[in-house]
Amino acid sequence: MTKRSVTAVRDRWFKSRGWKPFDFQREVWSAYLSGESGLIHAATGTGKTLAAWWGPVVEWMTEQGSPSPSRALSIAAKLGASKPVTVTSSDSKRKARGRSAAPPLRVLWITPLRALAADTLEALLAPARDLELPWTIESRTGDTSSAARARQSRRLPTALVTTPESLSLLLTHDNAVELFGDLRAVIVDEWHELIGTKRGVQVELALARIRKLRPEARTWGLSATIGNLGQARDALLGCGAGAPMGRIVRGVEPKTVVVDALLPETIDRFPWAGHLGTQLLPKVIAAIEEGQSAIVFTNTRSQTEIWYQAILAERPDWAGSIALHHGSLERKKREWVEDQLRIGGLRCVVATSSLDLGVDFAPVDRVLQVGSPKAIARLLQRAGRSGHRPGAISRVTCVPTNALELVEIAAARDGINAGAMESRFPVERPLDVLAQHLVTVALGGGFESADLLAEVRCTHAYHGLTDAEWDWALRFVSSGGEALRAYPEYARLVVEDGRYVVRARDVARRHRLAIGTIVSDAQISVSYLHGGSLGTMEEGFIARLRAGDRFFFAGKSLEFVRVRDMKAWVRRAPNGRGAIPRWMGSRLPLSGELADKLRHRLGEAANGVFGGEEMRALEPIFEVQQEWSAIPGPGEILIERLKTREGWHLYFYPFEGRLVHEGLAALFAYRLSRLRPISFTMSSNDYGLELLSAVEPPLDEALRAGLFSPERLLEDVPASLNATEMARRQFREIARVAGLVFPGFPRSGKTARQLQASSGLFFDVFQRHDPGNLLITQAHREVLERQLERSRLGVALQRLSDSRVVLTNPPRPTPLAFGLLVDRTREKVSSETLSSRVRRMQLILERAAG
Amino acid sequence: MNPMVEGTEAVIAGETLELFAARAVFRRSTRTLLVADPHFGKAAAFRAAGVFVPEATTAATLARLDALLEATSARRLIFLGDFLHAKEGRHPGTLQTLSQWRLRHSAVEMILVRGNHDECAGDPPEAMRIVCVDGPVLEPPFAYAHRPREIRDAYVLAGHLHPGVVLLGAGRQRERLACFWFGSRVGVLPAFGEFTGLADVAPAPGDGVWVVADDQVVDVSG
Repeated sequence: MTKRSVTAVRDRWFKSRGWKPFDFQREVWSAYLSGESGLIHAATGTGKTLAAWWGPVVEWMTEQGSPSPSRALSIAAKLGASKPVTVTSSDSKRKARGRSAAPPLRVLWITPLRALAADTLEALLAPARDLELPWTIESRTGDTSSAARARQSRRLPTALVTTPESLSLLLTHDNAVELFGDLRAVIVDEWHELIGTKRGVQVELALARIRKLRPEARTWGLSATIGNLGQARDALLGCGAGAPMGRIVRGVEPKTVVVDALLPETIDRFPWAGHLGTQLLPKVIAAIEEGQSAIVFTNTRSQTEIWYQAILAERPDWAGSIALHHGSLERKKREWVEDQLRIGGLRCVVATSSLDLGVDFAPVDRVLQVGSPKAIARLLQRAGRSGHRPGAISRVTCVPTNALELVEIAAARDGINAGAMESRFPVERPLDVLAQHLVTVALGGGFESADLLAEVRCTHAYHGLTDAEWDWALRFVSSGGEALRAYPEYARLVVEDGRYVVRARDVARRHRLAIGTIVSDAQISVSYLHGGSLGTMEEGFIARLRAGDRFFFAGKSLEFVRVRDMKAWVRRAPNGRGAIPRWMGSRLPLSGELADKLRHRLGEAANGVFGGEEMRALEPIFEVQQEWSAIPGPGEILIERLKTREGWHLYFYPFEGRLVHEGLAALFAYRLSRLRPISFTMSSNDYGLELLSAVEPPLDEALRAGLFSPERLLEDVPASLNATEMARRQFREIARVAGLVFPGFPRSGKTARQLQASSGLFFDVFQRHDPGNLLITQAHREVLERQLERSRLGVALQRLSDSRVVLTNPPRPTPLAFGLLVDRTREKVSSETLSSRVRRMQLILERAAG
Repeated sequence: MNPMVEGTEAVIAGETLELFAARAVFRRSTRTLLVADPHFGKAAAFRAAGVFVPEATTAATLARLDALLEATSARRLIFLGDFLHAKEGRHPGTLQTLSQWRLRHSAVEMILVRGNHDECAGDPPEAMRIVCVDGPVLEPPFAYAHRPREIRDAYVLAGHLHPGVVLLGAGRQRERLACFWFGSRVGVLPAFGEFTGLADVAPAPGDGVWVVADDQVVDVSG
């Protein structure tokens, strides 16, 4: 078909849907057809998918000869019809015949969540069906049946929707070259979600591999708007001589956004800290009732369960029209909720970020955000779920769960109005992911060291990889770690004819089973005794349950029966009064951009300026803070000193977000402990940090000696981190990715158990016996850079050292201190010997016998 | 003197025993040294499965044993089970290191009370002249076994559990440490091997608990 007639068909298809192509979509199509790669950024649901999909479709149609007149007529008729024709099951025979006749893989579509693959598939199938393209379009994820996978491994469909892990698995097959022989496009969806994580690096490496195998393929990324789009594009397209230039295309303009908040009647009874409070429930219900449909976003899975139960208890007549959605729920339940949302069948869904990503959700009437959104972009994105037409107003109503969150809400609105978007910084040089990739490539046909090194250096993540680091990684996966020792029994990769390959079958099996960089606590699947699976929960929670214990999960009131292997059995419990499971998943920290706006608002409050409803509602709290202590003004740093039965508390309030505070807490504790033998435990939150000790800390002396000084930062920070367990904990993820710790074969027997060791044990052994181990170095580096955002740490410290110290001795914990006081997770730093500390400690005796 | 091999006294079943931060128990009256769960070859077993663990663990474990033998001048060394970790750990390199070590202490009588891992991994090579028995070794008032269980008319010293306890302190301090745990009829030694982990145990009020805090043994009995 000629180019002109093809574009006419495309435009008619859009018309048949009642749509008109946007300018940005035309720009992408034209760029794609000229052989360009790029990054498209816009809010969800604004046509990015079609912008990426139609390029390859048009390309294919242009390459075909003219269709037969009858076929052309039938397509035209379909497009002219009032409703698009859907393929019925009687077409399945044609499909089966068509499978082997379908063109080989042309489009690879990478999506971060397998849950999204089904959605995406639907969106891609629609035009294909209407145009009767003889394409096969399938997905391949952890949920794909082994029969389908085997078939796909022999011949991939024309378009494949897959996850980073499944893509890596594909690369472990040695026929990769044939599989990708006719690839035209790689589309990476939700790139902003992948970038900044190790899975993003996994994608970078896979893309480099694919580009090597098939240089003609273009790469297009679909992303939300973030602060560092240029860097996001570079990470997607790679660097080095062969890297495509790539353009950045902006999608439709965002709608106007309104952010409002539900306010408590009186602030007196409203908690100062904590996040489980449901005081505002009546107002939340009233807000839901204002419309036909609502999404209530919460920040954790536990909170969804709590709020779901609370709403249901208040409005039992809503049973059946409200639902729950989070990542630990059974897939079928999640899919049901998503389907219902699409057709408007639910009045309210209580969800976590699990509903943040998605191809095509019908907008709802109301969006509520329970608890601070912690980032400006997240709030904006969620607001975008509301409003029916493009160009309509997006509105989100924030529901504070404690008083101080009102400041965050006001600050978030300031951020949206200022257009401040958070950046997502790509991960640099993670050697654990590289180690995993080396085994993948060795399995998938093998490699020569120099070639693969050059390929890997073309990625953004590894462009700075040193020769020493490469050698180390190669040795780690082949003969073992140390320079002078070889461990012949440790044979992961072997060299044959100058190529690194894998020969041992169980190494291959183990690697394929363990591929992936997502790390979470071991997941236990939860099922009814008499059939029916509910979802998964973390081992930590299940381990503490005893037979008969009640808890809520998946919106149901359950009674724990028993757990065996990786399955927990439960039965329905008549009326629930039970525990809510807690998941380890990250506590979102305040973003730097939001922290900035927050400090600004506080500065105003310190000067008696309370702009907007939220700040005015908080005046009484600020009065208390002022009376007992002080409100930090611009250019000031507040330190509170408090003595309780627990010991001596020091509170610092930099308002830089929890991650930076963890670093500052370790640093201050370390610097204080250099002055005299003393032990601290520390806790941090988004507002500040607490140092707690059994004896009075030498604060005045430390301030005089330069507690906030940026000098010696490069020495002190790593030293202070060595004194904490942060690197050891960070090593958990690294141990998993690098293949040291293994989740286990499905039918584990004695042999498998003999190979279990905790990552903490590996960390200790490496520290003691293999100090040159770069995985340990990586653990330290990751703590510094990713957990503590090292550059922010330096900037924060500089700001503190330029600030005037306001030191108060409040009579009791202040509103600002309260959140830190009750925090459970504590780091520790000590300059005393372990034995002298232990002599003052007590043995716990009341633990239940195993 | 290396504090790891300075004994801390504990009176158990009427006898004075010495506890070491190097994780062993010495009975001076019979010059018997007791060590539980060395798990030699564990690192090699992991390596054989494609998981990298450095080899130095065996040497480090043996170095500690050397220091103990020297400091105590023990005449008899009894392993309370799990000498070898697994069949896959019977690596020639590891076995050779062990044999050479054995030769350096040829005057010491060595006994292994077999544990669950020994059943799969097999006995140490015959040339090492370690007497292997299944049942407990009786040395009144003590009985030395692998698994902790009560035996009539004896106080049992055993291993197998790799015991650890949690301690709490002022200022919300928390530590989880390996320990020696002495109940009224049974005592459990900490795991000796370099590459072994901990499992929490639950001492009852009145039990004797000594934790290993770096190079010191500290009595934290309730």
